[in-house]
Amino acid sequence: MHEFIQTIINGLETGFLYALIALGYSMVYGVLKLLNFAHGDVYMVGAYIGYYVLQAFGGPTALSIPVPLLVFLMFVAAALGCGLLGVGIERFAYRPLRDAPRIAPLITALGVSFILENSVLLLFGGFTKSYSTNSFINVDTGGINIGSINIDPVQITIFVGSILMMYGLMQIVDRTTLGKSMRAVASDREAAEMLGINVDRIISYTFFIGSAMAGVAGVMSGLAFNQISATVGFLAGLKAFTAAVVGGIGSIPGAMIGGLFIGLCEAFAATYVSTKFSDLIVFGILIVVMLARPTGLFAQPALQKV
Amino acid sequence: MKTRLTLGAVALTALIAAGCGSSSNNSSSHSSSAAASASSSGSGSGKSCKATIAIEGPFTGPVAQVGLEQLHFAQLAVANYNQANGTNVTLAQDDTQLTPSLATQKTQSIIASNAVAAVGPAGSQEVEAVGPLFGRAGIAFISGSATLPALTTDGHNPTFLRVVPNDDIQGPQDANYVVNHLHPKAVLIIDDDEAYSQGLVKTMIPIFQKAGVKVNHQTINGTDTGATLASAINSLVTSQLTPDETVTMLPWQAAANAQQFGLEVQKQGKKTILFGTDGTNSPSQFKIVGSYVSNFGPDISQSSNPLDKQIVSGVAKYGPYGSFGVPTYAAAEVEMQAISAVCKSGQTPSRSNVLAQIRKTNISPSQNPLGVTIAFKSNGDIVGQPGYLFKIESGGKYVAIPNH
Repeated sequence: MHEFIQTIINGLETGFLYALIALGYSMVYGVLKLLNFAHGDVYMVGAYIGYYVLQAFGGPTALSIPVPLLVFLMFVAAALGCGLLGVGIERFAYRPLRDAPRIAPLITALGVSFILENSVLLLFGGFTKSYSTNSFINVDTGGINIGSINIDPVQITIFVGSILMMYGLMQIVDRTTLGKSMRAVASDREAAEMLGINVDRIISYTFFIGSAMAGVAGVMSGLAFNQISATVGFLAGLKAFTAAVVGGIGSIPGAMIGGLFIGLCEAFAATYVSTKFSDLIVFGILIVVMLARPTGLFAQPALQKV
Repeated sequence: MKTRLTLGAVALTALIAAGCGSSSNNSSSHSSSAAASASSSGSGSGKSCKATIAIEGPFTGPVAQVGLEQLHFAQLAVANYNQANGTNVTLAQDDTQLTPSLATQKTQSIIASNAVAAVGPAGSQEVEAVGPLFGRAGIAFISGSATLPALTTDGHNPTFLRVVPNDDIQGPQDANYVVNHLHPKAVLIIDDDEAYSQGLVKTMIPIFQKAGVKVNHQTINGTDTGATLASAINSLVTSQLTPDETVTMLPWQAAANAQQFGLEVQKQGKKTILFGTDGTNSPSQFKIVGSYVSNFGPDISQSSNPLDKQIVSGVAKYGPYGSFGVPTYAAAEVEMQAISAVCKSGQTPSRSNVLAQIRKTNISPSQNPLGVTIAFKSNGDIVGQPGYLFKIESGGKYVAIPNH
């Protein structure tokens, strides 16, 4: 039982991170029908921003400010930095190709991914960097204890923070003018433009929000797993993309459920089958879901124009 | 026009970033090094003794700490030798990220260049991939870390040499130490699915079994990163680490992953002694107190030997000291001495005469940082060298265990 519960906690920890990244994939795809393969690298940049905020306030062993304030500043800086990065990527790499054949922005997205990865290597070097979270947060005994199982403060932050962000995003999409505009652009960009919606601005907001969430996920990842490097974005991005597709790309609840589903599948496969085959199982599930429901678990049925 | 300009700027930035990202910022590319070495001259030693050697290593990526240590020690060896002997040898850098496919590409570019010898690559799986290429080109390549025994016995790598003992020495030494000093009932061994790791595991398991120690052998994907890697590590700690397994062997190439494993063990409230092999030997990355780390090179940071002191202080100019890089200093030194000897004999350094000279190497213990005679067997293995073992004490300090 202990093993089962611990596996659920492990799965939720990675699953929430995949979900936060998957949301960005889903939002951008919903609005632009673009697979933004650079999104995983935006998450990586977020992890680096968090790391340098940590260093700016004295580093893990000599903090000059209280830990809650530090963590808050790390999240804010990563969200703002990645949000602006996302807007910049859209403005300079994708917008000029908006009316080009689909393959052009797709290849550009891969190019942007490599630019981000190599730029980080160039600027910050190839050494793996460590948040050393246990130096400033008590991850061994702090948090909530259920029997012999400990849910540490970082895990609690990931669980609660992710749920709050997802709830906030759904409120924005469902209840605000911005959300309505996003849905209008996603439904029919030209019609939305004719109705007076500033499509460019709405797309920029979409990139900002999606990238900001990836940035926060990057900091959460650094806090939870300690080590970050320029290469952490690619695989995480691939898993998050899988989550978005399984959930139904373009669907916000789908991205969330898909992320958790992939995280839990990965953890259970690694615990009860083999770590060697966990990717095989995760991507096998993707194929099965696609065969059974080609639009994903939560995708809305596409309207057929007649 | 505006669109074209934007696209042009994006493409230019991509080229710059990709180009710069593929090697360290102080690299000398093949084009420049080829030009420098094009005028090789063989009239004795001194400034006229010009040549280029290349170094292959993981200078970026998850195990960059290993490659950068090696690079910095090689840079120091070349600079020291040039300064002391008046030679003009250039070091070209090739980042392989510890991947055989990239190592193959880089080897092809080395073959196309004027390099007369190479240092590296770091990983056994890379040597397996590039050995036949170097062999056909007749280029000597000396690794300071590739330890898979088969590399010198399968006949595929005729120009491969190494200045480190192979896994038939390191693996059994580590396993015997565990059996004789840590006395576990059971051990958890996790390989990282690479040739290096699996080679070591193969040499350890029979020793544990012979001593009656139960072996739980698991595999992790060493190329995973971030959340995916963490998920695998978390699951292994959750499901595989039982109270009986008081020792966990981590024959991995990424020290940061061993650190991650140790932190997860602590987080889940479990107890085991971690035992890493040379790939995890990095005081800045792996510092779980009470763990053991073996290595194929000595830690010369506290040595009173003048040469060792000079090397430790000299490498600081390039990057932080780490004992993983020490053998690479020796590998570069071997090639420098061979080039110099060729020049002194009145010949122009070429791949064949440098290779022949390298095979004759005989450097005394006092003249190299390994502290043992550097000479090669006919198959390219170094003639007799012990392994080294360290225990991580409080503060992450690596303390050498003598005569283990």
